[in-house]
Amino acid sequence: MRSEDVQEKDEKVSRRDFLTISALATGALALLGIVAGVFRFFKSDASYEEARSFKIGKPENFPVGTFRNIADKKVFIVSDDAGVYAISSVCTHLGCLVYETDTGFQCPCHGSKYNQVGKVISGPAPRGLPWYEITQDVDGSLVVDSSREVPAGTKNRFS
Amino acid sequence: MHSRFYLSLLLISGLLVISYLGLTAYHAVMPEWKYYQAEYKDLVVKNAKDDATRKRAMAMTLGFKQVYLKDLKREDRCINCHAGVDNPLMEGAKVPFKKHSGNYLVNHPVDKFGCTVCHDGQSFATNEKEAHGKGHETHWDYPILPLKYVQSSCAQCHDFNMLAKNGGEKVAKGEELFREKGCKGCHKIDGVGGDIGKALDGVGNQPIAYFPMKHVIGERTVFNWLKQHFVDPRALVAESAMKVKLAAGEDDLLTTYALSLKSEEMPKKYRRINYANPPKYDGEALYKMYCSACHEDGDKTIYDEVFKRTVPAIKNPSLLRTMNDANMDVIVKEGRAGTQMTAWKSSAAGLSDEQIKEIIGYLALKRPAEQHEPFGLAAFTGDVKHGKEVYEVNCSVCHGKDAKGGENLLGISLRSPVVQKKIDTELLAVTIADGRAGTSMPPFIKDSEVLTKQDVADVVAFIKEFPSAAK
Repeated sequence: MRSEDVQEKDEKVSRRDFLTISALATGALALLGIVAGVFRFFKSDASYEEARSFKIGKPENFPVGTFRNIADKKVFIVSDDAGVYAISSVCTHLGCLVYETDTGFQCPCHGSKYNQVGKVISGPAPRGLPWYEITQDVDGSLVVDSSREVPAGTKNRFS
Repeated sequence: MHSRFYLSLLLISGLLVISYLGLTAYHAVMPEWKYYQAEYKDLVVKNAKDDATRKRAMAMTLGFKQVYLKDLKREDRCINCHAGVDNPLMEGAKVPFKKHSGNYLVNHPVDKFGCTVCHDGQSFATNEKEAHGKGHETHWDYPILPLKYVQSSCAQCHDFNMLAKNGGEKVAKGEELFREKGCKGCHKIDGVGGDIGKALDGVGNQPIAYFPMKHVIGERTVFNWLKQHFVDPRALVAESAMKVKLAAGEDDLLTTYALSLKSEEMPKKYRRINYANPPKYDGEALYKMYCSACHEDGDKTIYDEVFKRTVPAIKNPSLLRTMNDANMDVIVKEGRAGTQMTAWKSSAAGLSDEQIKEIIGYLALKRPAEQHEPFGLAAFTGDVKHGKEVYEVNCSVCHGKDAKGGENLLGISLRSPVVQKKIDTELLAVTIADGRAGTSMPPFIKDSEVLTKQDVADVVAFIKEFPSAAK
């Protein structure tokens, strides 16, 4: 008798209600999961394009004073006393490849001029040339990631 | 309206979907390659020689990687698991983290060449089974090549001379065997070669379905088919007429070469083959390439078990003494219709006149100094009617009643266009008079006096008249 009373008090939710609620809740959860999953697959792991990050070789290949134009990757690799850095060689105006001059870079298409750190001096170019992040891979070679810009002037020494 | 039954159904199905989603989500977050990358990271941390490297290893992010190769029309994703392929720290590590053997990657960096261009396999796949493409259920025609065959890929860009000296010994040796064994006597490549066997252009990347796999032992792959077919052709293709006599290990070398015969050319910027100076072969080499498969070394007449006919000894001094170069040239160029002897002229089996001359020059080295006695056929007028009688008594036993030769007959066909139209009659007369030492053709005048010169002239006239004189 007494124990039944206790039960009565504890059972605020009847068994039937509990089942109903939990069934609806699992249904809702399952739906949510499906929707979340669908959104997850909007973004693919791989894209059909050249890798944006690429190895350029060991640091000892870039002694101080190196200036290298890696044409097929559209990037200049420069090494000075402060370190190594990578400047894009794609003109910010219409995407021609700029070339090196005594004072910096110049674009052959519409004559945009940049100074040695890629800042616009003259011409139609709206922005300076972006600088790309350089990191070092575990096998010791340097990796340029053209999908990650760093502020102009970021130079790192690698060994 | 909540009936208990439908509610329980909803509850159970909801739980099922949730757990399934949970599994799927886990699988999506932790695909097979991620475990490998995590293990690789631990390995690099462990193998790091200095703090800087260790720090870099600690900072490594796990993530999906691929090598995008526009010119080669592929994306290679092998490096997701084979992560240490170009990392010198991974020299002695276990597969799949091991550094690539040798110094192949120095000239073939992964980001320019990828992996599948040499090793085959399915480069889009992101799990081991699919990527290696082994087994029927992966539905991939180019499973990862066993290491003993990998050199077949070198020949896509390099010529065999260079490969023989620079780490492509197997495929270069295979190519040499292919020439020595005379495979092109029956198989065309680039339109040059005999036509008893199949043309071999592109055989190295033909789909599995092109091969009769029924009797292949083990994995049904193209390379297994090729190897077993080299060992015993008739075990795989019952009606095959292929001859093979291989020493141990040569089957693998030839398989490597066969796999290198691909139908697609590499993009120009990858190719290092110099087409400007194709290798030139002398008469002996050409003889081996195109003749030796049937005629072997040419010194003795062979009864061929597969062809069910005799293959003449073409270095037989008696034959060479009777036959001058011009007649040899005719036979090589025109072949012998109705036999396995192909017409080798440039419009048929594709040998240039120059090459045929080289081969005949090589055979002529064996020609005895003494000439045969001229017959002087021009002085006789042949009587076809009498020739027919002579033929039936003396010749039809071996050459057949209708002179077509054929199975179980020792004699060759006398009805072929070559004998009928191209060869000069003087040669026929000399052959009948002097016989052919070393074969079953007996002399009918020399030492035996079975026939008179007039008889011979009559028979020759009859043979020439066959097309009209036949019943």
